[in-house]
Amino acid sequence: MPGLQPPDDALLSALAARDLGALAALYDRYGHLAYSLAYRILGESEAAEDVVQDAFLSAWRGAGTYRRERGTPRAWLLSIVHHRAVDILRRKTTFRPAPLELAEAQPSDDDTALTAEKNVEHRTVRDALEALPQAQRRTIELAYFGGYTHVELSELMGVPLGTVKGRMRIGLQKMRRALERTR
Amino acid sequence: MTEHVLDELDAYALGALDRAEAERVAQHLSTCASCRNEAAALAEVVGALPDTVPLREPRPALRDRLLEAAKADVRSPVRGAAARRWSVGAVRPWRLAVAAVGAVVIVLGAADIDAYRRLVAVTAERDAYNKTIESIREGARTWYMAGLGSFSGSGGTLYDPRAPGKRPFVLFHDLPPIAEGKVLTIWLVSPDGTWARAATFRPSGEDIQVIEINSEVAGFDRCAVTLDDAPWGKHGTVVMESRIAPPTPAP
Repeated sequence: MPGLQPPDDALLSALAARDLGALAALYDRYGHLAYSLAYRILGESEAAEDVVQDAFLSAWRGAGTYRRERGTPRAWLLSIVHHRAVDILRRKTTFRPAPLELAEAQPSDDDTALTAEKNVEHRTVRDALEALPQAQRRTIELAYFGGYTHVELSELMGVPLGTVKGRMRIGLQKMRRALERTR
Repeated sequence: MTEHVLDELDAYALGALDRAEAERVAQHLSTCASCRNEAAALAEVVGALPDTVPLREPRPALRDRLLEAAKADVRSPVRGAAARRWSVGAVRPWRLAVAAVGAVVIVLGAADIDAYRRLVAVTAERDAYNKTIESIREGARTWYMAGLGSFSGSGGTLYDPRAPGKRPFVLFHDLPPIAEGKVLTIWLVSPDGTWARAATFRPSGEDIQVIEINSEVAGFDRCAVTLDDAPWGKHGTVVMESRIAPPTPAP
């Protein structure tokens, strides 16, 4: 029963108290999402698993440093996964801007992927992202999943840095409003 | 307070700033509530982006691997506690200061040679601690390196003071003894994976140990420690790392 599940904040508090059960519960809750994110960024299952293990261990060791005002435990945990994965991505390549087509050739959402969860929130996020004009959506996707800095994106897309910033800003604000409407 | 960073917050939330820019923004956020609130709101939006990714299941063995690694922390409670005390973000400087001063008083009361030795050790701890505080006040950049394998439970924080004339240093805790003839080497690793030797040393046997670095840290984005046969040549096993280490070379 979902009502019996401890909230994320309680799990992090338990983590800070070195409760292995809380770590297992947190992994059971977000492990697949964390792995999916790492795989989406890196495109390699082994590297993605390493990132997930490293991120959860970081959370285990650093749960005491978590501050609620900086975001939810879920956002905090996924930000660790994201940072780790992008860090590896940037190290793996010399990271000079590649042709746009190559940059967008991220791991395909092929048949081996599980069907995405169909809950309302996930669908809302996907809809909100897909509803953005292509330039805004590409900018956000290449930054977040491709690991490109805004300066690199400016070069990659052949537009001024201010335009990249504007696309990020407007795109994220639209997504923010879309998500707020559903909460 | 530094200049507002609203213009950079979207890229910051997406992880699309380079290291220096991100540090500048983080520095500002630590002192500006309005920018911090906006950053938190953007973090929630960006935190929803993983929901757009098709779900995949990792191999079941990953769960076991993770829990085993966490159990290893629990099995070394003393070291684990020390590591937590000194890990980035978990530093409790005032407690250490009080403890250090208290220890000095107690040790002086004993007035024997053991007490004297202890006093020296505590003074060294206090000095190391003061150095750390000073660096943090100056806005030092820091990297925490976690011990691996037989070094699990130990760790070190590399401080890069911003103040002119101050040299970077690493504050290690709980270093285990190493075999005679072996040395530890601190490495700075550049974003393109180039390793540069920063210092070579042996554990002092104290709970904490400070090693100064003579080279510039700028341009490097992670660090590591290896256990080596000599202070030259190819590096040996990686025993400590910041973030994710490169593959461990054969010893």
